Amino acid sequence: MWERMVRPVRDDATLLRLMSAVAQGDAQSLKSLYDLTAPKLYGVISRIQRDRAAAEDVLQDVYLRVWQSAGSYDPQSGRPLAWLCAIARNRAIDVVRRKGEVQGPVTEDGEDWVERLADPHDSEGAILGRDALRACLQRLDETQRDCIVLAYCEGYSREELAARYDRPVNTIKTWLHRGLAALRGCLEPAS
Amino acid sequence: MTGGPDDERDLRAAEYVLGTLPAAERAALDLERTLDPATEAAVRGWERRLAPLDSVGPDVVPDAGIWPRIAASLPGRRPTSAANDNRVAALARQVRLWRGTALAAGGLAAGLALFVAVGAWPVGRGEPRYVAVVSRSGESPALIVSVDLAAGTAQVRPVAAETPDGRSLELWYVEGGAPKTLGVIGGSARRVTLPKGEANPDGLFAVSVEPPGGSPTGQPTGPVIYSGKLIRD
Repeated sequence: MWERMVRPVRDDATLLRLMSAVAQGDAQSLKSLYDLTAPKLYGVISRIQRDRAAAEDVLQDVYLRVWQSAGSYDPQSGRPLAWLCAIARNRAIDVVRRKGEVQGPVTEDGEDWVERLADPHDSEGAILGRDALRACLQRLDETQRDCIVLAYCEGYSREELAARYDRPVNTIKTWLHRGLAALRGCLEPAS
Repeated sequence: MTGGPDDERDLRAAEYVLGTLPAAERAALDLERTLDPATEAAVRGWERRLAPLDSVGPDVVPDAGIWPRIAASLPGRRPTSAANDNRVAALARQVRLWRGTALAAGGLAAGLALFVAVGAWPVGRGEPRYVAVVSRSGESPALIVSVDLAAGTAQVRPVAAETPDGRSLELWYVEGGAPKTLGVIGGSARRVTLPKGEANPDGLFAVSVEPPGGSPTGQPTGPVIYSGKLIRD
């Protein structure tokens, strides 16, 4: 219970208000937005970019981008925290792919990430599509699922997955494509 | 949706969001998103599908020294910028409105949209002022160019222009003949001088992707990713 009380309050209404103020050039609101969301974004970034100094640089760059582009955020396109996480993931991936570096040892396996989708304590509140994503990931072939989840959550490249599973890179690409297509079909059976 | 070009694009978008595209393909898709609304929609779709995974990782509190670094590096905004950003938001709304109208009329050229928007721009004393909102199809403004035809100058303000890795964005003024360069776009607002005698209300601004430092030929060599027409304020 205590753990839940100390979690930052980052409900959509608060974040929308802060982002709107940031769009108007209010640096104090950027600070408030940072205080609320930086631990989440730094978590996303540091699981992908494991070099600490580089991860800190990415975090700094992400908030500069937020400062510059908060005015272009459209609430119709998605929730504010998802918009911020997408910027953070994209910047972190950009940096690790550009360097072409192979990162350190594994810290998690894919199953753990999927299990956490079911953990009600580690939540931003009701997450749209969370149960559906979990159910659909669990229906995938185990190796395909692990590749997808390790890539998304820990920034694994095709080459890193190839090393982990001792398979050619093209096999990994095939696994990813099959897994992603199956995921899409499961989440949106009509399409 | 299996095996066709739509499927191929969707899987590229999926791997882009996943982060597994190799660097060169990733950079190419960055550019493709700016040109092709269908690619952008595919990327957004995968971001939405996978976003619940963002919620499961533990928070990691960054070092207390990071915020001061961010605060110190914020680009200085001029005192009027808050008002300008209100206009940006208003202009962005007009873009969406305009785009809806254009789609309804079937008038949207694939991949590239020009649009004009009438915004409340700061008006000088009597001289005609013009503004161009430079954008890609239906999205928020990338640049705002406010033009003083009498002085032959333009204020170029980057809003959300995205430069592909290892490339430069170059701004062009097009009126009648060959495009005239207005220089490489940086991260902050600056004033440029329009080509002599050519500053004209029928002018068009365009942004192309060029090698680092700008076009080596004096003419656009890469794809035009943003454009916008002048309108009178």
